[in-house]
Amino acid sequence: MQITEMAAEGLKREYRVVCSAAEIEERVARRLQELAKTVRLPGFRPGRVPLPLLRKRFGASVLGEVLEQVVHEGQRRVIAEHALKPALRPKIEVTSFEEGKDLEFRLDLEVLPQVPEVQLGAIELVRYVAEPDEERVRRSLENLAAARRSYAPPATPRPAREGDQVIVDFTGYLEGQPFEGGTAQDLPVVLGSRTLLPGLEDAIVGRSPGDEFEVEVDVPDNHPRREIAGRKVVFRGRVKEVREPQPVAIDDELARAYAHESLADLEKTLRERLAEEYRRRSRERMKRQLLDQLAERYRFEVPQGMVELEFETIWKQLREEMERSGSSFADFGRSEEEVREEYRAIAERRVRLGLILSDIGTKNQITVEPQELQQAVLREAQRYPGHEREVVEFFRSHPAALEQLRAPIFEDKVVDFIFELARVREEKVSVEELFREPDEETATSEAPATVATPAAGEGAKPEEAEAARQESA
Amino acid sequence: MSSLRHFDVILRPLVTEKSTRIGESNQVVFAVRRDATKPEIREAVEKIFGVKVVSVNTLILKGKTKRFRGRLGRRSDVKKAIVRLAEGHSIDVTTGI
Repeated sequence: MQITEMAAEGLKREYRVVCSAAEIEERVARRLQELAKTVRLPGFRPGRVPLPLLRKRFGASVLGEVLEQVVHEGQRRVIAEHALKPALRPKIEVTSFEEGKDLEFRLDLEVLPQVPEVQLGAIELVRYVAEPDEERVRRSLENLAAARRSYAPPATPRPAREGDQVIVDFTGYLEGQPFEGGTAQDLPVVLGSRTLLPGLEDAIVGRSPGDEFEVEVDVPDNHPRREIAGRKVVFRGRVKEVREPQPVAIDDELARAYAHESLADLEKTLRERLAEEYRRRSRERMKRQLLDQLAERYRFEVPQGMVELEFETIWKQLREEMERSGSSFADFGRSEEEVREEYRAIAERRVRLGLILSDIGTKNQITVEPQELQQAVLREAQRYPGHEREVVEFFRSHPAALEQLRAPIFEDKVVDFIFELARVREEKVSVEELFREPDEETATSEAPATVATPAAGEGAKPEEAEAARQESA
Repeated sequence: MSSLRHFDVILRPLVTEKSTRIGESNQVVFAVRRDATKPEIREAVEKIFGVKVVSVNTLILKGKTKRFRGRLGRRSDVKKAIVRLAEGHSIDVTTGI
């Protein structure tokens, strides 16, 4: 087997491998002889089948097998002899082969770049710390209370106001005909809660029990019910009852309703929950700083194949997202080319960060323990209530899927490791400050691709968030 | 004898350990119709494979008696023809007709 290096440019390598006809022939013969000992053919005792007959019967398949083996071995030897670390599976292209002739194939691959030694101590990070303030705790308490609010008819009947709960009957008419889903009996509605079509609630405000009402409503274009979206609909109905909200005392009793001993206890839980949320956010921002710094400080060539792969993944996600929300590139005010360009830069950044993180991880012997993986599986399973068993089973039988779980854990551990070594400065900030998006270009700041699985990381891309907003509107 | 009949006479080549052995002395073994005669076999082989036949030996292998679900049964008989080819001629028995 002859291996010639045809090109070595940057991270790209190209090799030409030639395997002589004689060598192939010899391998075929050897394989046939091996087969001869075991093959069963009617009319022959095992091991007694003459070789020429075997060659006739199995020659083609053995040749195929041998070729595959030769190509595989060629690839292995190229990698071993040149001490290469391929980034992805090499691309192999057979340039010429005929039976009885030399086999020649080309091997294209990209090697992993030499990741520069990262000076962890030189990384400066700011840990934003925010304390849960009493104002916020109080507000969440009020939210909890509101959820348990009860309504009762006022002592003296009066017209309905915003915030009141009314019991109504109504029928909706589309071009004079009642339409499906437009009719309600004894429906309790809290005015101002926007549970009904806009305009309908407004029409009820100011009515007293027993009042009839009729209102024409313009249904918004994006209404989920196709047949009435963008049309005019008339509602006729009657207010049966007006109830006013009863004050809910924020006291120990409320706490007990939420399975806490006392109000102080409930407050403590809320405070902890807030603190936990802030800690997560704080870590997120620190991670973003870290990734920004790494990407900025350590520039090196990355394998284009990996970038391409990563790009395809996020591009596909973007396209699907756009398809769902029905938006086009024009909506972002940019051409497809520009967006492509931007996402390519994101992909490259992700790949680069992935390489750096995995390099740091390997150099410092950071590994994902089986228990950690197991925990991740269980967490994943909890997201599908009722199907926990299936989920766990799925991960057991699909190692590739498990690999996908491993990547973020590994990344987290590496990031934590760096946090330990980096110079971290604490800074007290307000809650608003903590949740503010950093000013700098954030489009490129997301979780890096991981080398093991170049799948997307978490962290919503601005475009996606944008799409989501449009959807919910 | 029509050329179609030639294909009726010869049923299949027999490829076994024994037949490959015999093949070394330029003989080929076929399964033929039970009622085929030596001259018929000679003609059929010469026409189909385009070779020259020196001699034909035949034998009828009697089918074995086998029990199937406790009942006696008999495998069918096979007439074999061992055909000696003239020097320099050969038939590749492993490729079908």
